[in-house]
Amino acid sequence: MKRALMLWLLLLCAGAAQAHKASDAYLILEADATGLSERVDIALRDLDRELQLDADDNGQLSWGELRARAGEIDQLARQGLDMTLTDADGGRCVPQTLAPLQIETRSDGRYAVLQRRWQCRAPAQDLTLSYRLFAASDPTHRGVLSLRGPAGAAQTLVLAPDGHATPLRLGAAHSLLSVLRDGVHHIWIGLDHILFLLALLLPAVLVREENHWRPATRLRPVLLDVLGVVSAFTLAHSITLALAAFEILSPPSRWVESLIAASVLLAALNNLWPLLLHGRWRLTFAFGLVHGFGFASALRELGLRREALAGPLLMFNLGVELGQLAVVAGFMGLVWGLRRRPGYPRWVLGGGSLLIALLALVWLLERSLDLDLLSPR
Amino acid sequence: MRRLPSLLALLLLSLRGLASPYTPQADEEVLEQLPRRLAAVPRQGLALPQALGLAQAALQRARQEGDPRELGRAQALLAPWWHLPAPPPAVRLLRASLLQTQHQFDAALQDLDALLASAATPLALRAQAELTRAALLQLRGRWPEARSACTRLAGLSYAALGAAVEVHGRVCLAELDSLQGRNESAAAALAQLARYPQAPTAWTLLLRAELAERRGLAEAEALYRQALQAEPSIYTRAALADWLLARRRWAEAAALVLAHQSNQAELMRLPDALLLRLAIAWRAGGDARASEAAAQLQERFEATALRGDGSAHARERARYALDVRPDAGAALQQAIANWALQREPADAWLLWRAAQLPAAPKPLAAQARQAFEQFRRESGMQDARWSAAS
Repeated sequence: MKRALMLWLLLLCAGAAQAHKASDAYLILEADATGLSERVDIALRDLDRELQLDADDNGQLSWGELRARAGEIDQLARQGLDMTLTDADGGRCVPQTLAPLQIETRSDGRYAVLQRRWQCRAPAQDLTLSYRLFAASDPTHRGVLSLRGPAGAAQTLVLAPDGHATPLRLGAAHSLLSVLRDGVHHIWIGLDHILFLLALLLPAVLVREENHWRPATRLRPVLLDVLGVVSAFTLAHSITLALAAFEILSPPSRWVESLIAASVLLAALNNLWPLLLHGRWRLTFAFGLVHGFGFASALRELGLRREALAGPLLMFNLGVELGQLAVVAGFMGLVWGLRRRPGYPRWVLGGGSLLIALLALVWLLERSLDLDLLSPR
Repeated sequence: MRRLPSLLALLLLSLRGLASPYTPQADEEVLEQLPRRLAAVPRQGLALPQALGLAQAALQRARQEGDPRELGRAQALLAPWWHLPAPPPAVRLLRASLLQTQHQFDAALQDLDALLASAATPLALRAQAELTRAALLQLRGRWPEARSACTRLAGLSYAALGAAVEVHGRVCLAELDSLQGRNESAAAALAQLARYPQAPTAWTLLLRAELAERRGLAEAEALYRQALQAEPSIYTRAALADWLLARRRWAEAAALVLAHQSNQAELMRLPDALLLRLAIAWRAGGDARASEAAAQLQERFEATALRGDGSAHARERARYALDVRPDAGAALQQAIANWALQREPADAWLLWRAAQLPAAPKPLAAQARQAFEQFRRESGMQDARWSAAS
């Protein structure tokens, strides 16, 4: 026992040195309209430990030694990774034969790359995985799964080799129509964008004369004004939405969110103490640029693939415009009807703008200082 | 929702470089240098003594070669007992060491505490548990508790085990003294203890080397070299490399690190701690391969983060952000995160360095400075690397 004691004592300072990458395998699954491509990367060191691939036992694993055992390697991988895949119609997808073995160089050594396709009759939908690769020889091993659904929505999971079944839903493909709906949805739930628009539209049905608001008499100039404001907003946010979606520009989200709050605040304050009456479209354009970056983060959450971004981007933007148009039309109808009421300037324009300004101020503080003043957003 | 962009970025990074699986040209092409082949972990569990022996050997190799797969192997060998709430004492002790090596400090401490609290733990195992626990407490900066443990080891409780345990206890006390600023007396004590035949040679040499470096003495280098010769561990090699780096001896530092492996052309076999030193040496020395080493290191950090144990790398990440890809904010963040886990002189030095960065974000720098100053006041530690400057 004393000998053992001596040996062990040497381990004392080991703690600090032991930060190193442990054994990982990488599973990359990408679903598409007709099936799924499966790629499994397994470290050659792990494979050799399990299968003794180094046939001449010289401590060096050659391509010939590896290639000769491709079948066994695949068998090991399939025993370690149990997958069932069904498509949107509930049909079982069928794994095809293994593609020729390849090699990947990673930061901690070389990996065998096993690839095959799963053929489905409809878009792949439900995936059940149970992982037990190297469970008996290295319980600290992990499978790092990155999964892309048919629409490109990506997720990453770390799988322990415990054999538990993990059900995963790949999700239906984002059809262009669904992206359009997402755009509409985003503007409708995006209270800050709506309030920015409302703050701009509230005074549109009035005319400012000698420091007093009067109801507008003719519809045409009002509509032209609204058209100018809405077009400026649309043009501006479309530009930045595209720039951000293609990752040409991506300002920090805290700045963007704070500036959006500031834009709402300024638009509301301009109603209470009018500084800028004519050519409000310029202000709208400037702030529209900021709102576009905000839309981009919502688009990003759909996890679309960059190479297939143009169509969805267009549809998403169109959705935003349609949603915006609906809000503008409904709201203009309402305020056009109300504009002659004596209380409109004070209560609707003034009170409404004040409420909007207060809310925007809270947002601005929250977002710029990273506080949580109201309920969780 | 707001965190999503960064997650996506991480994912994109993880997928980067994936576009390039290739087919080797010739059957003779060597793809991988393999470690010594070991007997496979048997499907039917081994008897306890064999399993323990093999698992201990695996832990020892992990320390010398830096491959955490050995830790997984040790755990696999102990599988029949691993998840028991109270496994046999010898297994529990080994489990604690494995957990400690994987930076699961609290779980390791729980096992060690339980071993010491149980009357069923044999005396020799108890002594090992005591010493392992002392080392862990010292690493965490819980020095009074570590001191009690070392005092017990040096005292009568373990006298029945012979002089070796007492010598270990006294080495451990001398180390604690050295951390608390009693540099001269600690150095004298360690030099004297080194002459005992029962003294743990490599450990004592390493402690003396580290202390000499903190005292700013040139004799540190010879001591580091002797320690490395006595026991070629990664920790010691990295410490000697740091000594050379601090003296701007870039080429020597790089050569020392590369001497760890036979195939010097392949960086991917180097343990993280050594690859880090190599990246620093190459960058500072203007070597053309510097960016390659830095990129590999970055990739490993990302792969580890993806796996979910990024915090195990905080010390390396802090150093990386200080010396490889300068980033004041990241250096501070990592140094502070590391400080919550580990409080050895190397960690204090990183914290101090990060806090000095001119471009550092103010609140973080203030936090680091405050933590450092508090530590310095309370510990009394003296270190030539920062004592003179601050």
